[in-house]
Amino acid sequence: MSEYNNEELSALIDDEYEGNSDKVFDELIHNQEMKETWSRYHLIGDCLRDQLPEKISSQISTSVSNTLRSEPTVLAPQKTKQFNLKPLAGFAIAASVAMAAVFSVQNSNDVNSVSSAPTVAANNTAPQSQTFSFPNTQVLPVSVRKSDTPEGVANQRLNNYLMNHNEYRSNGSMNGILPYVRLVTIESQE
Amino acid sequence: MKYQSLYLLAALLVGSVHTVYSADNLPEPQVLIDEMSAASRSLNYDGVFVYTLGKQIDTMRIIHKSGDGESYERLISLTGHAREVIRDKDQVRCYFPENKAVVVEKSRLGKLISTYLPQPIKSISDFYIFEIAGEDRIAGLNAWIINIRPIDKYRYGYQLWIDKESKLLLKSELKNQLGVTLEQIMFAQLHVLDDIDDALLEPSTAAEGFTWYKNSPNEPLDINDNDKQWKVTWMPAGFSMSEQSKEPMLTSRMPVEHLVYSDGLAMVSIYVEKLNQQPGIVVGASNFGGVNTYAVFAGGYQITAVGEVPKSTVKLMADSVKSYH
Repeated sequence: MSEYNNEELSALIDDEYEGNSDKVFDELIHNQEMKETWSRYHLIGDCLRDQLPEKISSQISTSVSNTLRSEPTVLAPQKTKQFNLKPLAGFAIAASVAMAAVFSVQNSNDVNSVSSAPTVAANNTAPQSQTFSFPNTQVLPVSVRKSDTPEGVANQRLNNYLMNHNEYRSNGSMNGILPYVRLVTIESQE
Repeated sequence: MKYQSLYLLAALLVGSVHTVYSADNLPEPQVLIDEMSAASRSLNYDGVFVYTLGKQIDTMRIIHKSGDGESYERLISLTGHAREVIRDKDQVRCYFPENKAVVVEKSRLGKLISTYLPQPIKSISDFYIFEIAGEDRIAGLNAWIINIRPIDKYRYGYQLWIDKESKLLLKSELKNQLGVTLEQIMFAQLHVLDDIDDALLEPSTAAEGFTWYKNSPNEPLDINDNDKQWKVTWMPAGFSMSEQSKEPMLTSRMPVEHLVYSDGLAMVSIYVEKLNQQPGIVVGASNFGGVNTYAVFAGGYQITAVGEVPKSTVKLMADSVKSYH
């Protein structure tokens, strides 16, 4: 069931684990079986070191977590690791849509194969407006070339999903603006 | 005689201003949330707030105008790039000055999630515990604090600060199961106004030389791929499908199947896209603030779950997607 074997757990308890311990802890939080092993190992350790209290409640961890859960306003220690996760590499360009498109226009100047890229709208007084039709334009290949890696394409795809999700989300009963706040704050990484 | 009545008047006024709230006359949290929802749509307001995500802090200004039953909204980033989002009932325009680009998306303003849900907001209380957690002062205004705690590990919790007078949201926190705040919005200043000058809803950039992009196809994208239907076979209790559509997307050759699931508060989108000949198939989890995503690849289709729920929820839901004919 668990990706982590008991030896790794044991190493972690002894402070000898060499991998990414945060991943193990994340798993530990959600995996009941692993939690039980974890407390058993602590118990064994305490026993070996002769540090056992007179009375042991096997329910202590449950009652602690229940108490924590019922007190959401208590400031739990910041789990800073949470945020070291890179924001989606490409979410940078939240408007990956914009990026894909911008790339395609930039490239249309020097890449022959994309001569079918969107051209300036005839009406000069109005902002240039371009509409993509997916099956025909070369938008995809161009952005592929520009972002170089398959990961780039994958990120753009994910960005599109996120934008789309946000638009739906912004009509929820709460946090109407939050989705757009996310969009506006994304750091540009290009 | 004259003074007596003045005294009486003064006493009445003081009494009505300094109402002491006992447990008996605390507002009902869900009523307050409904009022907040209505206030954020129907009032005119102009405010500045701080958005915190991990170590990142940004400030933004929001201007909201209501009239003729319609809403107009403008969001301006005051830190970093001068990005703006302008929204009305038809479209959302996102200005990216650093890219000299404007992206136009279809707006869904005014389409309430709750109207799509088979069961109205009532059932939310089966999966979240609502309570008034106290009072606070935000942006110089007195606020009620509402705690919304999920009953299981599949959803996040929320803490909301609602202005006692206008009922507008003054602060909001998204919290994980350990009570750690994932993201936060807090107003530093908020003015409710009688009217908003239309000029305030115009973008600050002339958008000169900007390129406009519309993410909408000009021809039907009905590519013969309707043979497959998709269904999420596992979801947390209380979730149900609220919408199903096909979304055109710039990076996709054909519209992407989009299924929307919600428990009334949290929302998870499932995207199914055929990808057998395209590069860049990436599976697994990623995260942006309170949003988690999880992608799996099966039988030529990439299935991606996106939502403001814990990682385990998007993973379980993505893993459970099945096709049927």
